[in-house]
Amino acid sequence: MIIKDLILSRWIYPLLKNEKVTGFFAFMLIGSCLFAQSGIPELMPVTQTYVLQNVQIVVRPGQIISGGTVIIQDGLIQAAGKDIAIPAHARKIKADSMFVYAGFIEGLSQSGIPRPESAAGATGPRTPGGQGQQRPRVSDPWNPTYEESGITPYVRVRDVFKSDDKSLEEMRKLGFTAAQVYPIGKMLPGQASLVSLGIGKNADELLLKENTALVASFTPASGAFPSTIIGVMSRFRELYKNAIRLQEYQKSYGSNPVNVNRPIADKCLESFFPVLDGKIPFIFQAPDMKSVYRVQALKNELKFGVHYADVKEGYYVGDLLKSEGKPIIISLDLPKAADEKKPVADSSKNAAPKDLEMEALKARTAEELKRLEGQAAKLAALGLPFSFSTVGVKSTDIKETLRRMIKAGLTEDQALAALTTTPAAQLGVSNRFGTVEKGRAANLVVSDKSYFDEKSSVRYVFIDGKIFEYEGKPAPKAGANASAGGKAAEAPKVAGKWSYTIKAPGMNSEGILTFKGSGSDLTGEWTSSQVPGTNPISNISVEGNKLSFTSNISMGARQINLDFNLSVDGNSLSGTVGVGTFGTFDVSGAKIDGQ
Amino acid sequence: MFKILNIFNLLFLVSFAQAQVTKGSLLIKNGTILTVTKGNMENADLLVENGKITKMGKGLVAPAGTQTIDATGKFIMPGIIDAHSHIGIDVLNEASRPSTADVWVGDALDPLDLSVYRALAGGVTASHAMHGSANAVGGECETIKHRYGTLNPEEMRMEGAPRTIKFALGENPMRVHGEGNRIVPATRMGVEQVFRKGFEDAKAYMAAWDLYEKEKVKNPAALKPVYNKRHETMAEILKGNIIIHCHSYRSDEILMLLNVCKDYQIKRLVFQHTNEGFKVAPELAAYGAMASVFADWWAYKFEVYYSTAYNAAILTKNGVVTSINSDSEEYIRHLYHEAAKTQRYGSLSDEEALALITINPAKQLGIDQRVGSLEVGKDADIAIFDGHPLSIYAVPQFTIVDGVVRFNRSKDAADQRLQASATRAETGFFLHKEQHNHDRCLEGAFENTATFFGLERE
Repeated sequence: MIIKDLILSRWIYPLLKNEKVTGFFAFMLIGSCLFAQSGIPELMPVTQTYVLQNVQIVVRPGQIISGGTVIIQDGLIQAAGKDIAIPAHARKIKADSMFVYAGFIEGLSQSGIPRPESAAGATGPRTPGGQGQQRPRVSDPWNPTYEESGITPYVRVRDVFKSDDKSLEEMRKLGFTAAQVYPIGKMLPGQASLVSLGIGKNADELLLKENTALVASFTPASGAFPSTIIGVMSRFRELYKNAIRLQEYQKSYGSNPVNVNRPIADKCLESFFPVLDGKIPFIFQAPDMKSVYRVQALKNELKFGVHYADVKEGYYVGDLLKSEGKPIIISLDLPKAADEKKPVADSSKNAAPKDLEMEALKARTAEELKRLEGQAAKLAALGLPFSFSTVGVKSTDIKETLRRMIKAGLTEDQALAALTTTPAAQLGVSNRFGTVEKGRAANLVVSDKSYFDEKSSVRYVFIDGKIFEYEGKPAPKAGANASAGGKAAEAPKVAGKWSYTIKAPGMNSEGILTFKGSGSDLTGEWTSSQVPGTNPISNISVEGNKLSFTSNISMGARQINLDFNLSVDGNSLSGTVGVGTFGTFDVSGAKIDGQ
Repeated sequence: MFKILNIFNLLFLVSFAQAQVTKGSLLIKNGTILTVTKGNMENADLLVENGKITKMGKGLVAPAGTQTIDATGKFIMPGIIDAHSHIGIDVLNEASRPSTADVWVGDALDPLDLSVYRALAGGVTASHAMHGSANAVGGECETIKHRYGTLNPEEMRMEGAPRTIKFALGENPMRVHGEGNRIVPATRMGVEQVFRKGFEDAKAYMAAWDLYEKEKVKNPAALKPVYNKRHETMAEILKGNIIIHCHSYRSDEILMLLNVCKDYQIKRLVFQHTNEGFKVAPELAAYGAMASVFADWWAYKFEVYYSTAYNAAILTKNGVVTSINSDSEEYIRHLYHEAAKTQRYGSLSDEEALALITINPAKQLGIDQRVGSLEVGKDADIAIFDGHPLSIYAVPQFTIVDGVVRFNRSKDAADQRLQASATRAETGFFLHKEQHNHDRCLEGAFENTATFFGLERE
């Protein structure tokens, strides 16, 4: 938006509020092409100049200006520091003593990417499989298509991103202003791009930097090769080598096509070219330790640039990751402690003898959780820069997760670096984002206390100079018996019969959940259209409106763990279920009796 | 020829060389050494230096500070080798097409697999981590050493072991692809055609690359053929660089694969399971094909009804290099019992019986120059028992890999996992809850494909 237009908008705005002149002006404006894209414009703010006075400016991690002033004008940071003259037309924001940070950047994210209703791969007619089971039909098992194989590196964010997706606002109110987003998919889901989490009519308006990396993972395809990790590894090598071949072929043909058959274009292999040229890296998702080693093996063999992403078990492989010499992207998906619930009231009478083996196992589990919580601190101590991935993370868990990481030894400055300067550097946009300095994009977070303080609230977020205002947390009322979750709501009534639907790509599974009893005596079982018989439920936990439980079922020779995490809202429930190594799926359901 | 492929192989070696394998030194004193290949030594010592056996004899002295194991009254044997198992890997079956010669289970090694520790507790120091038998041509396998304790998958590989690949005959590939997908092979004839087509494609592939190499000399801008890992692997078999390990039961099919190999001049061939091997033992011996069998396990499906506990003995007496394998994380813990059964069923000598689980599987994996017997210069992969290992009363006490004690019965802790779940106090200690009613070869072929929510995940 150029300055001239803005000045124009400042006097148009009051007129637009007058209905009589609106139509006329809208007509004029359409004619002048100023808002040609959308017809009637949304109402412009009175001013695009804001001032934050007497604030704690966290310029970058470790550099704070106390009692400073920040001036935001026309989408940019006009000034940040002390003794700054305030323009007359600036809107003064009530932010006295608040903390101003550079807008946070998601190192890797699927914000704005809607989940597909059905699987990306073909799930055409089904034919009976061995042992009476069904498998999706692949057009030709010997030569599945790229789509059937989950190989879609040509998919661009701008083609799938939804600028009106609700996830943008969920991240925005936490202080995130930009995200490196990638399309949903399998082994090669597509090209990542840096997008703004602001307001835009379409993806293009929010695109900050296109094709920042090619994303890769060990996620296999459904029914088609590669259907396992080993298939993915093999296919990856083959594609990479053939991409090199095609690039050489195209170059050679380009310089002399005489007497040579033309190279056949291939949108998949051609997507590798920027990686082959060293212009962009692979972002390789390697959540667990073994995946990190596998990515390293591929990288050593094929020699591509790589950013390890979604890393959760970096605690074990810190030195390896450090030796790779590139910043990584660690996951904000931190599991919660297992059973924080009180031990079953086994009062005196027939208290079972202490199960020493179980005690030892629990201690081991707690130790393991500490390692995961301590990953960020350990990597930071090694001097390995990292940003955060929010892939598969509930936005409402993020602040708590950051605090857990800090409790485990990460400093607040290190956490802030992972949210601002490191992702900016990783994405090559340090001169645009990541610090509170004159000339940078006005992407800012204003928090009433230090952001990492448990009681802090984000009050304002600026994206490209646009302001988003949020309410602070209400002060706790005296006498209110607030629980840890902030709500002291009575426990939902779980007992009864619930119908549920598990949404999985290409297939929904339906069934009935049945709970009996209440409190610690709650028991349950479930049936499913997928699994014969009635299956027992264990580890039931009800905390606030959160209902979680697990179930262990046999599928052939395999044991599969189901891990339900649901929210109960009156007579409906929603949440997720983790199904062994298959993945995590959305669950919704409703009560059908026992109301 | 095949310069480019050699470059890739070189790259493989380079990346493997990065893993530093831990090697140890120790002195084992005063035990009965069962060398397997060179008789027994009473009250003898065995010196290990930097992972290798350097001396065997009486009154050996080790440099000061060397760890010493008193083996008085104990039996020292070569570490047991399992020529057919599926432990230490995350994936068994890439069951998505009838030939997956392009995959390699070595890409999915699992250093955290507790089964590896349990195998050590049974004196097993190396195993052949195999692809499953869902496909006529499965993936390449990986010979692993049981270096339990490392977190680095690269360290599990037995560095320098020859490449091996899984083939499969009969019901499994027919069921998965014929019945499951309505494509070839739906019959045993079809299985043969998958092999022959694979080798024909590989020959054409080799020819294309040869042509390219020749053309390149004249014309530097010559066009490279499209790289195809599946054809490349099959070509490596034709060149004798990969040993075929074929899942097999029926004698007619065993002869069929012998004929295929004869036609393509493939010499390195090991039959796995081989339950009807006793019927064609002379033919196997004449061809130089080897056999890896169960001691007394059969009738878990129709094609495995005709079998005998004398199988290993008959094959051995006919001059076939024979081993006894586990194909199971439970059997692998007592392969010495399995070997001992051949003394009841077939009256094999101690050395013949022990060879079934040591030097013979080593030969089948092409690693007999390194392991499989106790000889000066060989890898210090050793199992120490408190009685003769073919006795039902013998219990493994120490298991040593590359001179490093990886299992010590007196220090066996309740929880030997290298990594635990962070969310649930689960044991991970369950063994197969179901009975052994089929071999593990098909694991994952159905359970993992399209069963849950129409999804396929390992």
